[in-house]
Amino acid sequence: MKRDANLWVLCTLIIVLFGFGGVVSGGTYLSLFNLQSMAMQVPEIGLLAIGVMLAMCAGNGGIDLSGIANANLSGVASGIFTLSLFDASQDPMLFTIAFAAGCVVIGLLGGIFNGVIISRFGITPILGTLGTQMLFTGVAVVLSDGRSVTVGSPDPLYVIGNGLVFGIPTSFIIFILIGCLLGVILKYTPYGMRLMLTGANPKAAVYSGFPSGRIIITTYAISGLLAGIAGIIIAARNINVKWDYGSSYLLVAILIAVMAGVRPEGGYGRIITVILSAVVLQLLSSLLNFIGLSNFVRDLAWGVLLLCFLGVGRFDLINRILASLTSMRSPHVTK
Amino acid sequence: MKNKNNTLNKRVKLALLTAAMGMAGHSAFAADGNTITTVVKISGIPWFDRMETGVELYAKQHPEMNISQVGPATADSAQQLQIIQDLIAKGTDALAVVPMDPTILEALLKRAMARGTIVVTHEADNQINTMVDVEAFDNTDYGTALNERLADCMGGAGKWTTFVGSLGSRTHLQWVGAGEKNAMKYPGMKLVDPNNESFDDANGTYKKAKEILRKHPDIKGFQTSAGNDVLGVGRAIEEAGLAGKVCLVGTGLPNPSAAYLDSGAITAIGFWDPQKAGMAMNEVARILLKGGQIEDGMNLGVEGYEHVSVRPGAGDGKLLVGNGMVLVDKETYKEHLF
Repeated sequence: MKRDANLWVLCTLIIVLFGFGGVVSGGTYLSLFNLQSMAMQVPEIGLLAIGVMLAMCAGNGGIDLSGIANANLSGVASGIFTLSLFDASQDPMLFTIAFAAGCVVIGLLGGIFNGVIISRFGITPILGTLGTQMLFTGVAVVLSDGRSVTVGSPDPLYVIGNGLVFGIPTSFIIFILIGCLLGVILKYTPYGMRLMLTGANPKAAVYSGFPSGRIIITTYAISGLLAGIAGIIIAARNINVKWDYGSSYLLVAILIAVMAGVRPEGGYGRIITVILSAVVLQLLSSLLNFIGLSNFVRDLAWGVLLLCFLGVGRFDLINRILASLTSMRSPHVTK
Repeated sequence: MKNKNNTLNKRVKLALLTAAMGMAGHSAFAADGNTITTVVKISGIPWFDRMETGVELYAKQHPEMNISQVGPATADSAQQLQIIQDLIAKGTDALAVVPMDPTILEALLKRAMARGTIVVTHEADNQINTMVDVEAFDNTDYGTALNERLADCMGGAGKWTTFVGSLGSRTHLQWVGAGEKNAMKYPGMKLVDPNNESFDDANGTYKKAKEILRKHPDIKGFQTSAGNDVLGVGRAIEEAGLAGKVCLVGTGLPNPSAAYLDSGAITAIGFWDPQKAGMAMNEVARILLKGGQIEDGMNLGVEGYEHVSVRPGAGDGKLLVGNGMVLVDKETYKEHLF
């Protein structure tokens, strides 16, 4: 039986981290408030990581470095635009809808732009999206004069960022729903299958008559769309949006994708593991803050994790270890 | 390879476990009303290392409190946001925050206060959601003091100019504005080409200062604002052989400025000591934790904060202004080396 090694590792890690955190913090780590607080922090980075994953799956060195820049641009541009058109205090519902729609549209356009320069002009994704990252950031700076834009907290928007439904943060529910939807799309639609096949073997895909240009544009467009949604959540959580927010997210998003076992060469990746991987990183990050370790340790931990998981993916270590352990009938199954 | 991996795994785990247990022993997760955590913009830079010495000193003076300082490793407001969010969830009783970007933290600090966490800020007089914002000094007083020192050196007469970090920097403009106003007392002082932008870049400032020295060979004084300005202008003055002849007073830190202060290229530098600011923030947080009030004229027991002025802040909170300005020259800078 073929196991999804990363899924196993991540599930184990989640249990271990919860247990460890609970013991070390004397229970506070497992308190409802902290669980909610951590769940609130996952969506923005998680959505960006899914975007990175999709780009990676498309193969040919696919990656989306422009995610957080696109999210910030969406928030900033849509914020300025919506503020000039609607009065948040007069009609908060309309304001929220307009703002959210604006974010989604701008994010989507940014994504399509990425897709077009990559597929039509044949620019390497890492360079193309690095360029658009600077472009998006630059546009956001110019639009906002480098200052933060106060979107405010009209009620429906506030609920998106900080509200709870049955004790679960709204933003986390949105994140999970989007994850499920994309998971279904990848698994059951022709687009999903073609995306993975194109990533696995671009040449074969072209000879099979796949519209690879359209697939790539669609993929980066979805990534951009996710960035736009991340922009909504950031704005809803923080009241203010600014062009330089989350400059450290870029690498973390890639780390999440790699930890999730997404193949950097393309052709394989699962949404469920990306979500779990984002959760693991959040648990670990919060745990480090709980313990009060220096934040330099965090960077170290991220680097070690990234290399470890790359190793796991490259050498199929988990399956080998598991296999050897079962054959030895060892009672303790280490991660 | 397999075995190697297993032992490695075990070793790493063991190390992590030991480390974590050790940590758990030290850090109390208790919410017994005495945890104050200082969150700085970035850890590991001299300014906030200096602040940490203050926080540590304060912790020593108050052994009954659980006091520490943390901060992100990279200059990213999102990182600082996460740290603060986790600290709130952890049940920290009081937060003393030096915001990377006050606006990004507004919503979170509001939620923190709603949950009963004490919030004190520093270097953020525009922060709406804070209980007390601690500022080392009044910006007008500081600008006036810098200029008074400059005028003193210039003998109250001659051409002088000003540098700001950028024209968008509110505090810098307040400083030079107050300086200009002060210089009006001396009819002999003539301001030329004011508000040069330095962008806090010592090299760029050096070039600009050289241009000014060429354009105005008879210039007598410079008043600068951003931390690196004194270094750039000081270098230009020294290279022109004008050390001690042209006066230079501006914001700067003792350690980097030491050589120019010794040579006389820099007349005097002004700054506030982050060590004292860190202690003052913690003291304010402690008073609030004990249910005390922050009142005008009170003594925080920290040098430079013996007689603070308290006024309404940007939001519902208070703005606490100390007299923590430090102005040192060749003779006195050695007392403040950091």
